[in-house]
Amino acid sequence: MLFSSISFLYYFLPLTLAFYFAVPRRFKNAVLLLASFLFYGWGEPEYVALMGLAILLGYGFGLLVERYRGKKAGKIFCALSVGISLSLLVCFKYADFLIQNINGVTGLQLSLLRLSLPIGISFYTFQIISYTMDVYRGEQAQKNLIDLAAYIAMFPQLIAGPIVRYFHIAGQLTHREYSLSGTAQGIRRFVIGLAKKILIANQLGELCGIYRDAQEKSVLFCWMYAIGFMLHIYFDFSGYSDMAIGLGRILGFRFQENFNYPYISASITEFWRRWHISLGAWFRDYVYIPLGGNRKGRRRQLFNILVVWLLTGLWHGAAWNFILWGVLFAVLLTVEKLWLLQKLGKSGGLSHLYTLFWVMVSFVIFNGENLGQAFSDLAGMFGGGGLPFVTQETLYYLLSFKNVLLAGVIGATPAVSGLAGKLSEKPAGSKILNLLEPVALTALMLVMTAYLVDGSFNPFLYFRF
Amino acid sequence: MNGKKKDIALCFIFLTLFLGGFLLCLFLPKEKYSDSERRMLSPKPEWSAQGIGSGRFMTEFESYAADTFPFRDSFREIKALTALKIFAKQDNNGVYLSDGFLSAMEYPMNEASIVRAAERFRYVCEKYLTEENKVYLSVIPDKNCFLAKESGHPSMDYEAFEKEMAQKADFAEYIPISDLLEKEDYYKTDTHWRQEKITDVAERLAQAMGTALSGDYKIHTLESNFYGVYYGQAALPLPPEKIQYITGTDLDDCTVYDWQNHREIPVYDMEKAVGRDPYEMFLSGSLSLLTIRNPNARADKKLVIFRDSFGSSIAPLLVSGYGQITLVDIRYIHPDYLEQFVDFDNCDVLFLYSTLVLNHSDTIK
Repeated sequence: MLFSSISFLYYFLPLTLAFYFAVPRRFKNAVLLLASFLFYGWGEPEYVALMGLAILLGYGFGLLVERYRGKKAGKIFCALSVGISLSLLVCFKYADFLIQNINGVTGLQLSLLRLSLPIGISFYTFQIISYTMDVYRGEQAQKNLIDLAAYIAMFPQLIAGPIVRYFHIAGQLTHREYSLSGTAQGIRRFVIGLAKKILIANQLGELCGIYRDAQEKSVLFCWMYAIGFMLHIYFDFSGYSDMAIGLGRILGFRFQENFNYPYISASITEFWRRWHISLGAWFRDYVYIPLGGNRKGRRRQLFNILVVWLLTGLWHGAAWNFILWGVLFAVLLTVEKLWLLQKLGKSGGLSHLYTLFWVMVSFVIFNGENLGQAFSDLAGMFGGGGLPFVTQETLYYLLSFKNVLLAGVIGATPAVSGLAGKLSEKPAGSKILNLLEPVALTALMLVMTAYLVDGSFNPFLYFRF
Repeated sequence: MNGKKKDIALCFIFLTLFLGGFLLCLFLPKEKYSDSERRMLSPKPEWSAQGIGSGRFMTEFESYAADTFPFRDSFREIKALTALKIFAKQDNNGVYLSDGFLSAMEYPMNEASIVRAAERFRYVCEKYLTEENKVYLSVIPDKNCFLAKESGHPSMDYEAFEKEMAQKADFAEYIPISDLLEKEDYYKTDTHWRQEKITDVAERLAQAMGTALSGDYKIHTLESNFYGVYYGQAALPLPPEKIQYITGTDLDDCTVYDWQNHREIPVYDMEKAVGRDPYEMFLSGSLSLLTIRNPNARADKKLVIFRDSFGSSIAPLLVSGYGQITLVDIRYIHPDYLEQFVDFDNCDVLFLYSTLVLNHSDTIK
């Protein structure tokens, strides 16, 4: 089920919230779990059992790892849990990619499995792995299956993150506070996230689709596409994270932030501290540090960076463009670590341009159907393929999407929240904001409902990961 | 308002919105048909284990929920106004408003489609016609031809389109009519041209095909309001239009036979004039095969028009020049079946199609 759908907003959400708040505290996780299975089953009925199995395995291994912690068996159970979780992920996400490449290299004709990718498998698999590894490292295992299942399957963050670490919310699973201000914060965050998705990301997605189908591409159109997609993926994904965090807040949870205005970064290193924070932290804690991090010399550190970024690329998808995308970041981060980072610190605006340029290039590679298309898009940006600089069609779409692009550019910076923050510091400004906020959020909600009523199916970009 | 009051207001408003929306979705009577969009709305899906297991139920429910949402038309209007006024989009769902006229963007020119259309017309000619038959072709430009350049919307090169079509259909004599048309000759909210504005087009066609029209035109105006097909698609608050139609001595006396339903029909169907698509009043809308007989014909000439919906409003204007006009819509009847109904001996043949159909000729059988 999509957050940005009539069925979620006007059927699922009111019913779920009504039941959730009507039942006593001890039943809330059960209601949450049931609602989460309904939410997941609505989009992936055939894979509900798979998720259930993954949860049961995570639960069982968690108990076994705790029981045999400090012994060889504990290590084996932890390795088994990680291995099985990764096997499921590999089977459903990477099997055909591997087979295709084996066939390509060896000339064999192995048949493809052609399994459809279960939505959210990358997210819940990573949550289960982090759970058992943390238990192995000394954290307490969850004895209550419903509580653990509610955490893994929790619908706000189930299918597109953020990757909520168990031990960040373990306490909240049993004791969480409900308050008027928390609910209001949750509503505010949810509506803003929904607006990011429906009003900005979907429209920029439309622009990217138009570019892809355009008969008369131009250099300017290629740049519009690159900038448009860069904004699209940010608003799509951060919008989803906002909605997840907002819904979590309404339900009494506090999830960690997943984005912090990544496009204002002055280096790629900083960018990855601000973009998909939960994924970066996951790879840091479960791959980079166990590999030795920066503790085993420079060479080993650079190797570890390469491994982490190859895996980060692969996590996003089973295709060579995702691997290249990861490698590009590995190279950029290595260059920054070796010598560029200090220089970037002194170069002011140039460092922002450098960061935005490489992030844009990376996302053009990321969004290509294949490497050929990605390189063709990149070449087009620099006049490759004999493209004209501009066409009538390009100008039309520039005119038609200029306000959305502008809103995207402004919205990707802290300008608006900064302005609101400054206003709220003054008594008069604070009064105006307090008055305007409910009105503005209600108007936004109505406009978004209008877009949903008029629009068609718009899946979130990060569902495929 | 302080922070706490704001939080209370926010919680109250959204509780009302979601819960109220849920109750309205559940209990408000549902429309089955959307007049503005001219389409059936998605029905409530049936529960079944197979439907749920396959995900079909969920997909259908998504459509049902969006299609039957309370105050759907008002929400669609809000969306259109937001897109056009706040985001300054130049079109809404591909439909744009220029100088009070609505039009759907129609571009780029689909050369493969033009070739296909010409091939289908050639097939008809080779199957049924001899050298005795005179064959004509005319292309009706859609409204974009007169709106898009002015408003900066992408559009086809209509001159090139006509040239291409005339070249590919080299078995027919081309009759150009674009120079006689302007945007005012079309309905503001619909794809079609206005019958009362195309008498000059009818005369050009008649003259080129070697006949003369009586010029006996009486213009009538329907009382009912007309909202064209673009009105629903654009979802913008625009005033209604009036449909006008032309009568004359020849038209008053002529008969129309509908081969598809084996019945006589009027030239102007007044029931359809107040129906879902009032433009269907012209020769009862989309029918595959019609024969109009004119007992007062000055010459015993016969004409077969292969046409789309634009032909429904111009055919009555050509009646005074012919004893019999047969209208064939090969989007609804395969040409192979025509020999059962149409005698092509001593007939002139006119292929009269709009660019909207020629640029998407997959619909032509």
